[in-house]
Amino acid sequence: MEREVDLVTPVERAIGLLSKVDLDFFDVTATYSRSLSIGVLGKGIKETSSLDDLGIGVRAHKNRGRGIAFSQSLDPADVETTARKAVAFARMAQPDPYFKGIPGPSKASEVMGLFDDEIRSLDLERAAKFVKAMIDATEGVRVGAKFWGSMNTGYWRSYLMTSTGVSFGEEKTHIGAYLSPTYREGDDVGSSYEYDYAISLGEMDFHKIGKRAAEKAVGQFGSRKVESGILPIIISPDSSGSLCSGLLDAISGESAVKGRTFASNSLGKHIAPGIFGIVDDGTIRGAVESSTYDGEGIPRRTTEVVSEGRILTFLHNSYSAGIAGVETTGHAQRGGYGGYVGAGPTNIRVKPGDSSLDEMVSETKRGILVEQAGFFSNMVSGEFSSTIDEGFLIEGGERKHPVKNLMVGGYMLDLYRNIEAVSKEGRELGKGHFFPAIKIGGAKLAGK
Amino acid sequence: MIPSYRFIFIVADILSWRAEMKDLLESCVKKGLGSGASFCEVRLFEERSNNISVENGVAETLGSGIVRGVGVRVIVADRWGFASTNVLTQKGFDVALADAIGGSRSIREHGGEEARVSEVKPVTDTVIHDVKVNPEDVSPEVKIKKVLEIDRAAKAYSDRVKDTFVTYRDVLTKVIVCNSFGASIEEVTPRTYAYCTVISREGDNKQIGFEFVGNVAGYEIIDGIEPDKFSVKAAERAVKLLSARPPPRGTYPIVVDQRVGGLFVHEAFGHNSEGDLVLGGQSIISDKMGEKVASDLITIIDDPTMPKHGHFVYDHEGTRAKPHQIVKDGMLVAFLHSLESAAKLGAKPEGSARAQSHHNPPIIRMSNTYFAPGDMSFEETLEGIELGVYLAGSQYGYVETQKGQFTAKAEEGWLIEKGELTEHLRDVAVNGLTLEALKNVTAVGNDFKMDFPGMCGKGNQGMYVDAGSPHVRIENIVVGGRR
Repeated sequence: MEREVDLVTPVERAIGLLSKVDLDFFDVTATYSRSLSIGVLGKGIKETSSLDDLGIGVRAHKNRGRGIAFSQSLDPADVETTARKAVAFARMAQPDPYFKGIPGPSKASEVMGLFDDEIRSLDLERAAKFVKAMIDATEGVRVGAKFWGSMNTGYWRSYLMTSTGVSFGEEKTHIGAYLSPTYREGDDVGSSYEYDYAISLGEMDFHKIGKRAAEKAVGQFGSRKVESGILPIIISPDSSGSLCSGLLDAISGESAVKGRTFASNSLGKHIAPGIFGIVDDGTIRGAVESSTYDGEGIPRRTTEVVSEGRILTFLHNSYSAGIAGVETTGHAQRGGYGGYVGAGPTNIRVKPGDSSLDEMVSETKRGILVEQAGFFSNMVSGEFSSTIDEGFLIEGGERKHPVKNLMVGGYMLDLYRNIEAVSKEGRELGKGHFFPAIKIGGAKLAGK
Repeated sequence: MIPSYRFIFIVADILSWRAEMKDLLESCVKKGLGSGASFCEVRLFEERSNNISVENGVAETLGSGIVRGVGVRVIVADRWGFASTNVLTQKGFDVALADAIGGSRSIREHGGEEARVSEVKPVTDTVIHDVKVNPEDVSPEVKIKKVLEIDRAAKAYSDRVKDTFVTYRDVLTKVIVCNSFGASIEEVTPRTYAYCTVISREGDNKQIGFEFVGNVAGYEIIDGIEPDKFSVKAAERAVKLLSARPPPRGTYPIVVDQRVGGLFVHEAFGHNSEGDLVLGGQSIISDKMGEKVASDLITIIDDPTMPKHGHFVYDHEGTRAKPHQIVKDGMLVAFLHSLESAAKLGAKPEGSARAQSHHNPPIIRMSNTYFAPGDMSFEETLEGIELGVYLAGSQYGYVETQKGQFTAKAEEGWLIEKGELTEHLRDVAVNGLTLEALKNVTAVGNDFKMDFPGMCGKGNQGMYVDAGSPHVRIENIVVGGRR
């Protein structure tokens, strides 16, 4: 599916131009991507889409001021205009007192398995058969659903050069599928969704996605309102990812070190019981969030972030590391050619516990099993109020019925402090993330 | 004299590029029909943006970007195919057309949804939205000076202001649509924004406040900003939230301000009225046309012709946009339509399909969506509430249309006790069920405002929208409190 696009020549052209100008630092990145998708709506497959995207981004630094420009054209004239704009902006920008430079080159062991030839050569005709298999699996559970979903595959290639001597290219493939069936019985609705994503086609099980989506949707019939109260909640592996990602975002990059997140003061502190731990690993072979280098050319690594409930490190790019006075941890994230370089987690692996989801449910007299919810907090204060999009009331150690119109609220760090159990089994996502079920004691629920 | 000549050359260049592009678009449509398409639409998209970021009194980043490309959409063998590219050459167009046609053929054997479109009378038109002050005519130095003034006023508000951020952004969007019905539309839309964010701090307690302006407009809306009013609002909110309390938990009568009311109508009802979700069985009101879906006090309108942030004259299928009354006195009277949903649901397309860029096909989007005003004063909307919650200033919301369950997050709130606002509350979020909540509206104010310029996400596409409302009172809403 790849088209012939030369990324190196335009990047070198821009670097050549920038080298002749009096700048302190600069970097240039170009990316090409091609993606195919099949959209599902209503009765089934609705449409196809194929996308070719390319662009070049320039960051120029002068006297600690930063100029950024990007263009979706790699034509020589457009590359030149983009570089000149970034230079002009850098000269006009005021000094960022925290900026200390950009990193030089480092050597890394190549992370393997990030590219799948089968995806690169996949066409829409074959892709449609996978989507059909996913829909058929849903119908195998129960017919009559109306669908919403999609399947996407992508090939992505990039090339980065910096004034400090960093120069590397990367290529990756990606595949993802999502299906949401909705069933109706009069005014009662049974609706849910399932998804998965991977680097390679062989990792995907389309039948399983369709079947699980239908089973979850059917399980949502008969949802009822629940009274407000303070109850334990069991966050399933489908939902614990948003809880853990929220914490890692709060200890990543500039916002964390500038004291602007709810976890800014948590470095070195115990935020959870000893059973809780998180490792961030950007080097897992074949994992979606893996890469050989981060967005600034620093080797990816395995980082123990939370151990026995204590935060051991923040996740840094060179900018935030400079503020904290430490070495970068190789967590720079470059959002394509748009110019912005942030910091954030890669593959998040939560340490498995010794409980199981079934045990957690059976040991709960009254509580809520949270199947789907976004635990997105106010990043500054850590306060949150989230709707439990899908969940079940637990009574006497059993799932009683699905719930609706129910919210859970509190402070993010209180949730971590109140972790009572972590399951040994969990969900692998993108061959890199691992999220177990997590039981929290005494969460504040708002309902009828 | 030299700059004038240069200007003439640039204009001549642009005109020649436009003519060349229109030729390529029209020739691509013809080729699509010649290759077996029953419908073909080719859309050029270009967006030029400039931005300035100030943090704590330092204009540390200036940036600009150009997004440009073409999207081709066809119906072949009763199936949709779409392809896009940034390569604006004859070869680029040919490859995209072949991809779109090949794509639609590749799914014809798998059942699913047939593609159909309503034929509309083709129009040829060019719309260039006027601005009083073109942002391109204002130098970056002048813009930086203004943004720094805005930042300084926020910083000076209190010693409890920890961090201040101001972002300036201008965006010029050009869309040219040609289709096989003969439509040839060009629309050029400028939008300009300023955002002020303030983080306040007292010990370990940190809070955040926002203020923003944004519209289909030029630099005049930035010129019009009075920092003492604009950024001080953000700073005041952030500082006052330090002493606000978390909201109570449970089910309460709520009164929402114009921004939360706008978010509420957009999330709780607007998405449910989008024709693609209706025909795809993803809307809780799919089968409720002509039925009572809300209190008699409720009238809901989506109006792309209003000169607000979601304004446009033609949608991205080339259909002239009209105001849409969706709910009249509590009765569901219309859905929002694209060419496809209109054909399938037996309605007339009135211009509701837009695309984020050339990389996306047009889908049905709201524009400027609002609750129409009633006749009560703000005080009357509060009257008789023994214990309730007042919500002000929107942050975000989302809806599960198929289940009709929505969530809306406000910046701040107040407890309502015996019809009076009392205790200040922070981070208030509410959850409701669309069909219950709208029937539980018991008061609608006369103080309508549309003041919530934002981006709405749907199907991986962001789109310019606005939302408004008067003060509205709703009974029995779940407030996700923390005490």
